[in-house]
Amino acid sequence: MKTAIREVVNANSNVAVPSIRKKTLWKQIVNSRTLLFMCLPAIAYFIVFCYIPMPGAYIAFTNFNYQAGIFGSQFVGFKNFEFLIQSGKLWMLTRNTILYNFAFIIFGNAIQVLVAVLLSEVSSRKFKKLSQSAMFLPYFISAVMVGLIAFNILNYDYGFLNTVMKLFGADPVKAYSTPEVWPFIILIVHLWQNTGYGSVVYFATICGIDQSIVEAAQIDGTNTLQRIRYITLPSLKSTVVILFLFALGGIMKGNFGLFYNLVGSSNSNLFPYTDIIETFVYRALMNQFNFSYSAAVGLYQSIFGFIIVIISNWLVRKFDSESSLF
Amino acid sequence: MKKARKVLISMLLVVMMLGMVACGGSGDNAPAKDNAAKSDGGSAKSTDGGNAASTEPDISEFQEITFLTLGNIPTNGRAEAILEDLNVILKDKINASLKVQWVEWADWQTQYNLLLASGDSTLDLIGTATDWLNAWENVKKGSFMVLSDEMLATYAPKTWSEVTPNHWDQCRYDGKIYFIPEDQYTQWTNHGFFYRGDWAKEVGLDQITSFEDMEKYLDGVKANHKDVIPWDVAGSANLPMPQYYINAYTNQTTLLGTATGNYSLFFIDPSDPYKVQNPFFDGTLMEDFATMMKNWSDKGFWREDALNYTGETRDLFYAGKSAVDQHHTQTYIFGIKQNMDEKQPGSDAKFYPFSATSKNLVRDIITHGACAVGFNSKHAERALMAYDLIRNDEECYRLFTLGIEGVDYINNGDGTFGRPAGYDDAKDGNGLDFWWGRNDAYELINENVYSGYKELFADFDSYAIDYPITKFVFDPANVQPQIAAVADVCASYIPKISLGKVSDPKAEVEAFKNALKDAGYDQIRDEIQTQLDAFKASEGK
Repeated sequence: MKTAIREVVNANSNVAVPSIRKKTLWKQIVNSRTLLFMCLPAIAYFIVFCYIPMPGAYIAFTNFNYQAGIFGSQFVGFKNFEFLIQSGKLWMLTRNTILYNFAFIIFGNAIQVLVAVLLSEVSSRKFKKLSQSAMFLPYFISAVMVGLIAFNILNYDYGFLNTVMKLFGADPVKAYSTPEVWPFIILIVHLWQNTGYGSVVYFATICGIDQSIVEAAQIDGTNTLQRIRYITLPSLKSTVVILFLFALGGIMKGNFGLFYNLVGSSNSNLFPYTDIIETFVYRALMNQFNFSYSAAVGLYQSIFGFIIVIISNWLVRKFDSESSLF
Repeated sequence: MKKARKVLISMLLVVMMLGMVACGGSGDNAPAKDNAAKSDGGSAKSTDGGNAASTEPDISEFQEITFLTLGNIPTNGRAEAILEDLNVILKDKINASLKVQWVEWADWQTQYNLLLASGDSTLDLIGTATDWLNAWENVKKGSFMVLSDEMLATYAPKTWSEVTPNHWDQCRYDGKIYFIPEDQYTQWTNHGFFYRGDWAKEVGLDQITSFEDMEKYLDGVKANHKDVIPWDVAGSANLPMPQYYINAYTNQTTLLGTATGNYSLFFIDPSDPYKVQNPFFDGTLMEDFATMMKNWSDKGFWREDALNYTGETRDLFYAGKSAVDQHHTQTYIFGIKQNMDEKQPGSDAKFYPFSATSKNLVRDIITHGACAVGFNSKHAERALMAYDLIRNDEECYRLFTLGIEGVDYINNGDGTFGRPAGYDDAKDGNGLDFWWGRNDAYELINENVYSGYKELFADFDSYAIDYPITKFVFDPANVQPQIAAVADVCASYIPKISLGKVSDPKAEVEAFKNALKDAGYDQIRDEIQTQLDAFKASEGK
């Protein structure tokens, strides 16, 4: 009897173990088929636009010839990276790019969280919708338009700012010859453009907070500030960390459209404060159609960004393993 | 330039896309084809068009030829109508039809180069140019098919015999012809200032012939016309002002093919063309220029924030709100003069070509427009035949350039043409933009064109010289990093010096020179000189 059972168990385990595994994987897929289906466009997007082209980064190491193709072109090692060093500006550019992006991430997220919390506390539905739309709008204005608007506000001769200044008898300001003010102008414009859009994610997270916790807190007699401090903000933490990590990956990639259109291609008096890798590369390589050089810059930025993400993820995992990406 | 601002992003994009192409289409065997074409000077191609040596090309199979040109895709139906008529002739004569493909002006530099980089096999005839469409760069990158002498002689016999050997040589790279030059067409694209004769008279100037005159004129405008910005200039337009100043105050001309970004630093003296000149470093030319521009800026000849201004300044000139505009002779004759007479009657728009000051004028090179064949083209032979017809057959030529007689234009029979009543070029133009082989022999002149153009041309002809070393093609491979670094230095210093947005012009020029040196100016110059020496030796001089 015992042996028979054992045999049955053995037989079962022999056959069943793999089949159970298969079944679970299949089951998992079947169970979450809707979710997976919804992921499909994103998966396809990353495969097509990120993974398949990856070998193409090899172009950064070649003397690219159209007829020979990427892998048929002559290999030149790190020669295509030389021009970055030759300029003597690599450090300044990297510093500017990282500092700007850092400021964007820190101030951007802080204000987005603030706005999301404020919005969630507003009870008038109408006002909520209206203010959300108003803040959302700048996101859809193209950088060219933003540059034009900025010029019309800031220019010396006919600008809105100086017209107002003159009205009050103050001396007009020469914004376009004062490089020191540009980090603030760029930061403000960035925040103006992105706050509405960025706060949506936080707002959604706040909406997703279990209402029973909030109600329990209310019964316990918390006031609004306490509720925000002890319930809303802690529940936003993991979202903040994830978005922060995402943003860090792109810390080496500047927002070309914004910088180029605000500062222009010619006003080099502002460059020490406003030049980022992208604008420099545009100036250095325009009219040259040197795909290899551009790819070299892209690779430099990507590898730098990759390292930063890995390090920061490692740091996050060390202090709060729940919130890390992987 | 505003349109080119996405260049960088697009280049990164193409890297990604090319990656896909490389993975998916590796069976295309492009490199092998390249080698074949290189090893025997393109004669490998002659196999599918029959025997190259035979006099009668094989046209038994009907083929569709694609012609790549620049311009916005016309929507008024004229291009289709013209092509329909033209294709009847082409079908009859060479058993082929022509299809035109446009690269639109939005982002044209990127679009054009990307299209060539794609190696699209449907690209047969390609409009190109060595000075504004990167023809040499594209030759080096392998965009164009080698056109062997036999091929040209067989399939484009009229063009082959009409273009002189010397002119063909100007289209050779490593001894092989890559494109057909537009060498039978007269045009002047030398730059200068447009100004108003009526306002110049107010300060006693009849004809402006120097920057000093210009200053006097601008002073006058500033004093007499309070609501006018003397020279409303959009500083974002990458204006190569130092180049114009050098044109006016030296006898040097830019060494073609050595531009660093949007600006030219290297010049030659046509009397000794094998020595590279450094006008930016020699004497006090740049200091003088910088001081003068600083002075102009301080006097308020342009907006305080001109460097960031992006307005459409020509419209302001037409509207009488600006007293100066800057572009080349063709623009003056075919645009400025007519428009100003219409929109500002009595303004007496005049032209100060920079060449007038020192009688320093080099004729347009013959590859300011040229026609190449795509390296992947399947119909190279028939394409050349079609090109030969369009360029050298009066009927085809006028059909393609002017349109259908009686509908698009009226031949006055005296070398001029008129337009039918109500014709508006902006609305009714055919948009076929054939700038790749125009031919004076079949050209008709618009009857309304500014009649003074003949005197202007005659004046130019009296002192213009040919560019002396057209066969010299600079190969930047050894100094590519330096060129990129110097391009950045130029883009950083030249605009602000040119518009006087500096506190101390002399110190700024000094800083500019130092920055150029740091970025590798000397290495580029030495490389150019080395190649010029080798070129001189190869010329046997």
